Amino acid sequence: MSAHGITRAGLQAVNLPRRRVVNRVMQALSTLAAAIAVAALVIIVYAVAKRGAGALDLNLLTKDPANSFSFGPAVKEGLANAFVGSLILVGLATAMTLPIGLLVAIYLVEYAKPSIRAGVTLVLDVLNGVPAIVIGIFVYGLIVVGSGQSGWAGAFALACLMLPLLARSTMEVLLLVPSSLREASLGLGIPRWRTILSIVLPQTLGGVVTGTVLAVARVAGETAPLLFTSSLVGTKTSWDPFHALQSVPVAIFELSEQPDPAAHERAWAAALVLLLFILFSSLTARWFATRSRRKLTAAR
Amino acid sequence: MPKYGKLTRIGLLAAVAAVLAILAAGTAGAAPAKKTGTTIAGAGSTFVQPLVQQWISPVGSAYGYELQYSGVGSGAGIAAITARTVDFGASDAPMTPDQFTACKGCVQIPWALSATAVIYNLPGTKNLLHINGATLAKIFMGQITQWDDPAIAKLNKNVNLPSTKIATVHRSDNSGTTFNFTDYLSSASASWKSQIGNGVAVSWPNGTGQRGSAGVAAGVAQTPGGIGYVDVAYALHNHLSYFAVQNRSGKFATPGLKGILAAASSDQKPDASNALSIVNPPKKFPLAYPISTYTYVIVPTSTPKAADIRKFLFWAVTKGQTYGPKLLFQPIPKPVLIVAEKTIKKIGS
Amino acid sequence: MRFGDLSLQVVAGAAAAGTTILVGLIVWKVVDGALPSIRHYGLKFVWTNAWIPVTGHELYGAASFLFGTAVTSLIALALAAPLSLGIAIYLTELAPNFLRGPVTALIETLAAVPSVVIGLWGILVLGPVLRTDVEPKLHSAFGFIPLFGEPSSTGSSMFTAIIVLTFMILPIVSSITRELFLGVPHDQKEGALALGSTHWEMVHGVMFPYARGGIAAALILGLGRALGEAIAVTQVIGGVTGSSGIQWNLFATGDTLASKIAASYQGATTNLQISSLIYLGLILLVFSLFVNFLAQVIVRRVARKQGFGAARV
Repeated sequence: MSAHGITRAGLQAVNLPRRRVVNRVMQALSTLAAAIAVAALVIIVYAVAKRGAGALDLNLLTKDPANSFSFGPAVKEGLANAFVGSLILVGLATAMTLPIGLLVAIYLVEYAKPSIRAGVTLVLDVLNGVPAIVIGIFVYGLIVVGSGQSGWAGAFALACLMLPLLARSTMEVLLLVPSSLREASLGLGIPRWRTILSIVLPQTLGGVVTGTVLAVARVAGETAPLLFTSSLVGTKTSWDPFHALQSVPVAIFELSEQPDPAAHERAWAAALVLLLFILFSSLTARWFATRSRRKLTAAR
Repeated sequence: MPKYGKLTRIGLLAAVAAVLAILAAGTAGAAPAKKTGTTIAGAGSTFVQPLVQQWISPVGSAYGYELQYSGVGSGAGIAAITARTVDFGASDAPMTPDQFTACKGCVQIPWALSATAVIYNLPGTKNLLHINGATLAKIFMGQITQWDDPAIAKLNKNVNLPSTKIATVHRSDNSGTTFNFTDYLSSASASWKSQIGNGVAVSWPNGTGQRGSAGVAAGVAQTPGGIGYVDVAYALHNHLSYFAVQNRSGKFATPGLKGILAAASSDQKPDASNALSIVNPPKKFPLAYPISTYTYVIVPTSTPKAADIRKFLFWAVTKGQTYGPKLLFQPIPKPVLIVAEKTIKKIGS
Repeated sequence: MRFGDLSLQVVAGAAAAGTTILVGLIVWKVVDGALPSIRHYGLKFVWTNAWIPVTGHELYGAASFLFGTAVTSLIALALAAPLSLGIAIYLTELAPNFLRGPVTALIETLAAVPSVVIGLWGILVLGPVLRTDVEPKLHSAFGFIPLFGEPSSTGSSMFTAIIVLTFMILPIVSSITRELFLGVPHDQKEGALALGSTHWEMVHGVMFPYARGGIAAALILGLGRALGEAIAVTQVIGGVTGSSGIQWNLFATGDTLASKIAASYQGATTNLQISSLIYLGLILLVFSLFVNFLAQVIVRRVARKQGFGAARV
């Protein structure tokens, strides 16, 4: 038995007062640790909320950044180009990843031999472990050199980050679908492909939505890959993915290094919006997940 | 098929509506876009960024071009134009022969002229303290560590210098401003030249690195005792104190238009690659500010937008110069302008 | 076989194959990009302590960045480990029921904060506080230890980066550890308590050994997170100066592999500099993959052991 300390100590009632003190101290330390973690989080979120809320107004979403060296009266400015750009980049990335992620998950769960499943799962884990900045270097070397930066390049980099998350979460939900459902469907004469697409996959819709939203929340705040693929931008809002698009995390990054307190305010406000978006998405996704998981397991 | 409850459907609808609302707001509010013509995108020097940003609106109204500029540092600008990621690059450091080879048929054109201010943050003191090159070199080499050091005090006899520690701030990215500053230090101090040298990036013996001129300005503004180097426009815009630097004739010159013009008179003949060096001008230019520099635009001779870029660059070196003086960019002198225009004509040939 | 079945299988298989090719492509592109520097320096690059981009005197080496990565990640891990364990113990054993949900949610929220926002907070809030209050006090109290040397001038330092990284590792390690602790069989815990051990002795004697493997995996995953973090670190670490990259003072500026790449990549102009930066990326990639692999191995071993362990006890 691994807990020899207990048996010995248990027989030594003499040491009891000291052991109780140690116990109390450790309990206090654990509570302290939790308090520190909560305090850290509260400090950070409070800073973002307080400073961000002060600078948050509709202008942030509707006006483009002004030229930083303009003379004359202060112009109302915002980060419209960043918000629109982020929307497009993340949207395109999701559009790229979703079908591939679904197909990979379908292949691994429905078709692959155990050895291939293990192998490709390992590949997905490796992809998950590649640091975002290395993905940035990769996409830069693959697409940007020679053709220039573009929204497509940025979206592709984000898609590489989303793929393992999506594929894994879809796999998990696919595995939850009872095999009896598949067998019943095949028994009725429905072709395999139809079974997968029309019977099995719809059961996983909740899980897929959850996985997608979580993956989106994850890449919405990614800066490193976009630095190399979609960062040389102007101030006008653009919808064109064939040129570089500004994005919220890159805007925050650039603003954080400016000397101008007004720039810092805009950074906090953008950080607040970003944080709210990520939190809202994560919470919704998790709520959705518990709900659909309950449904799925109830269906068994 | 699982049915989704009313609450869920309303929630999803609300989410989609919110997204569409953001899209609508962003498009509608964000500058009613003119029927845009060509986009001319450039990247590079943060030194020239204040001036180029002034050009965006007039160039738009004159020719309908949408001018875009990202201040990412001279090094990044050269890298970007070499990779043809942008239409033009901007650098304060003239390109090396290797960079010209890598750029494959690029030309370098001097298109603006200004100065590097040495900024400082010393509460309790006023603007325009005196300094000279040798002392600056010692400060940035770490040999002088406090503001009340005798070397500094000697130059500022009527000033009560506090004993604050000196905190040097330099550029962490490849920067033409670094090139200009280290070029000056190499010229003013033999030990700097031998130990550290000049370049767009050097091995700084101490201090913090910041990205972009804005970053250095931020670093100095937030650090009591800080000292750094930025394009003089940044010093003015952020209300930072800067030094009056002693030139070769012994006078303490400020980075104003007169000082820059005097420095520019010391070299009016661009070399084969159109580079000019006007740091630490000789004694016979008593008004010269010794850390002045030209800054260059780099364009490939064969580019699909040749005609538009030629128009833009002609405008920049002529009409565009009139936007400079407010930001302490001295309009480029005639001899240099002639060379610039000749080179611009080569684009697209 | 019907056409529909064949098509779906082929298309899905192609997606899986494509993913594998993608990973191969990433590795190949990184190696290919680093080749000029690898050919120039060979393995010497790894222990050369220099980064001189001056034209004509170019010399590059990874040593100071490896040092920075090691120091920041390991110290952050050392700080985060006891904190995470403490949090996990608190949440599973000590917290009153009504607090468990909210506190868990709060800590998971910390994981959701993007690194650029933590970096923003680091530059504008944490840095100044460290510079004006914390570092001078630590220096005057513990200055005899070389770790607590000259306080930083601008608030950007390895110390700031360490604190930022600790906050980023914390949620990962604590949430995994918490799940592990929740999985400790009740009868083992109650058995120990019944024998007269105090609560802490039960935690120390039963829960820790049971969850040992999982905790190791969690720590390694946290390490992986810290290794790859480029943005928040580059915002607060200040950049290496000259050859001062390898030194003891935590309050000095520094650089990690990831933060150096983030800071210098856009502006690299010579072939040698670009490929040296990619070489740094290659080293980072190798480390990250190894760390990931290690975590997987441990997880698999633990899973196998748990299968037997329960029966044995």
